Amino acid sequence: MVKSKSYKSSYLRALADYQNFEKRVEKEKEELVKTASKKVIIKLLPLLANLEKAEVFVKDEGLKLIKEDFLRVMKEEGLEELDVLNKAFDPSFAEAVEIIQGDEDNKIVEVVRQGYKLGDKVIQPAQVKVSKINK
Amino acid sequence: MAKIIGIDLGTTNSAMAVIEGGKPKIIHSAEGKNVIPSVVDPIKRIVGEVAKRQMVINPKQTVYSVKRLMGRRFSDDTVKKDLEILPYIVKEGKDNAVIVEVDGKEFTPQEISAMILKKIKEDAESYLGEKVEKAVITVPAYFDDSQRQSTKQAGEIAGLEVVRIINEPTAAALAYGLDKSHAHTIAVYDLGGGTFDITILELGEGVFQVKATNGDTHLGGDDFDKVILDYIAEEFKKESGVDLRKDAQALQRLRDAAEKAKIELSTSMETEINLPFVTVKDNQPQHLVMKITRSKLESLVAELIEKTLEPVKECIKDAKIEAKDIDEIILVGGMTRMPKIFSTVKDFFGKDPNRSVNPDEVVAIGAAIQAGVLTGETKDVVLLDVTPLTLGVETLGSVTTPLIPRNTTIPTSKSEVFSTAGDNQTQVEINVLQGERPLAKDNKSLGRFILEGIPPAARGVPQIEVAFDIDASGILKVSAKDKATGKSQSIQITGSTGLSKEEIEKMKEDAEKHADEDKKEKEKIEAKNQAENMIYVAEKSLKDAGEKVKKEVKEEVEKNIKELKDIIEKADAKDLQEKTSTLSQSIQKIGAGMYDDKGKEDKGKEAEADKDKKDGEDKKEDKNVEEGEVVN
Repeated sequence: MVKSKSYKSSYLRALADYQNFEKRVEKEKEELVKTASKKVIIKLLPLLANLEKAEVFVKDEGLKLIKEDFLRVMKEEGLEELDVLNKAFDPSFAEAVEIIQGDEDNKIVEVVRQGYKLGDKVIQPAQVKVSKINK
Repeated sequence: MAKIIGIDLGTTNSAMAVIEGGKPKIIHSAEGKNVIPSVVDPIKRIVGEVAKRQMVINPKQTVYSVKRLMGRRFSDDTVKKDLEILPYIVKEGKDNAVIVEVDGKEFTPQEISAMILKKIKEDAESYLGEKVEKAVITVPAYFDDSQRQSTKQAGEIAGLEVVRIINEPTAAALAYGLDKSHAHTIAVYDLGGGTFDITILELGEGVFQVKATNGDTHLGGDDFDKVILDYIAEEFKKESGVDLRKDAQALQRLRDAAEKAKIELSTSMETEINLPFVTVKDNQPQHLVMKITRSKLESLVAELIEKTLEPVKECIKDAKIEAKDIDEIILVGGMTRMPKIFSTVKDFFGKDPNRSVNPDEVVAIGAAIQAGVLTGETKDVVLLDVTPLTLGVETLGSVTTPLIPRNTTIPTSKSEVFSTAGDNQTQVEINVLQGERPLAKDNKSLGRFILEGIPPAARGVPQIEVAFDIDASGILKVSAKDKATGKSQSIQITGSTGLSKEEIEKMKEDAEKHADEDKKEKEKIEAKNQAENMIYVAEKSLKDAGEKVKKEVKEEVEKNIKELKDIIEKADAKDLQEKTSTLSQSIQKIGAGMYDDKGKEDKGKEAEADKDKKDGEDKKEDKNVEEGEVVN
């Protein structure tokens, strides 16, 4: 009796696990379809960042066009730029790399690396400079 | 039954796992990572990756490495050392407790840890789609009672019932299924983000025992990253004259690049660091392009790797074994992916270490397996931990009387009956001690309490039962009960006092070092106790016997009492024993003399005694008959 009871409990447990697993696989599949290109996009992000850096020094129309074209392709795949500049610093979207003395507290005054999200997930937080009032 | 999750609550990173379909599986954080940085902003209540991102602007508000403070006292040496490194405010609280102050608000290390555990709980719930209320949490093997207790409290604050606390190396061994193999002696080499631990476990009858543990609380992956970063920065400085470490923005990119290079060099022989537009010099953009080979990396970190071997050697020595006696070696911690570490460990032990389970996840996996055992999802494992140090009480002459010796498998309980040391003593103080030394003053007092209301009686008469009970998580409850009145008193050893690892090591070391003198001193105390007891008995006998004692006997006894009293404070054990024995012999004469007299007076009674004896024999015969009947 005791044995069959314990078998039944293990069976129910395994069954429940399986059903939950199925539900999760379903959810993950949906997610996967949405972000199938996520891995490649993440790998390409540093390239995009370098293009942005180059833009600062190389004032060439051609370079600008390349960058914009690149970004357009990425956006078609679901990439979205995070709009954080001049907003209050929120670590959910940005990573602070430097403090700048200013006349406002906790405001993002410069984006040193653009942040992106894919679907509703932040895949790369922005790297930013944050203002602090000099006390 | 609801799921129990396994949690590796680490100094730098934490991880969680659960049994699904009979197999352990790592639960990813809401951010999609297999580990959660153990970083907390207690004011905004943000934890992990997100809290880490604001560290630069809120260094005093971002608490990390709080595990170093768990269950510690403010006066601990390790706390003083950590104070110099930690950028947030750590101060002394009530009863020498450690308090973290953020924005004028005070938090205990337990509360901070609880925030990490709360995130783990929530992330696990959203993954599993059900409530999570129970957990198995791992702690380092050297964690003492109060550190374990604090960890348990952190779980409770987070709304988790901590059903078991297990040792990290034990969890790692479980993850490799070593409980079912024939491995006897297992070494666990754990190089984490900020700490290094080496533990030697012994497996016997399905139970893991910690033979020895050692380590370096300030050596880990972060040190490796820094060495690499410094090298890249120096090389770049030679080339361009610019120190990238002085430019916050460049430093950030450099940090990421150094870590990336380190990881890549674990699988490839060469990597290229490519940071275009890393900085500006004379209005000209500068690019960092550098190749690093694996052998270069290995030469850079050789010293750090070498540094881990010292504790390993110590640990093997403490375990009283040799490197070749170790059957299995397990690698834990992301750093152990470095091929050089693998080969160094391999060369040292003369065997291939195990590394098939992800070293970042292995401890959490093991905790989940233990959780599975508790829910009945995984079977055939009986996992029990052991007490790291001997537990006992203080007895007469400030001697430690051990009740539960170290390395005892828990849960366990033990009780012993003690008595009073003086006449009409109505209360006893129970001083709970932890440590290996024979004398109370050399061990650590975990707590003390007083049992009152003992009915006045001669010394040695009252019976006080002292019971120790350690639950499966290593938390100790001590109670004392007067058997005559049934009055009892107890304490649970709580987290206000903790032994540091150094203290444990020191206590063990001291115990070895002072073994001889301790033994002598203990002998002396015992001899003194015996002498005092003998004096007491002698004086009482003289008093009780009163007029019946012959004058010469009384004088002899009194002389011997005085002689013993004269030397009791200063003589060594041997002299005390001699004099005690002389006194003992002389007081026998009191009794003997009285019986002699009695014998003369009551000659008539002997007949009765004879009769009794005869009766006895008769009875014996009767009995024989009865037995005969039975046989028939």
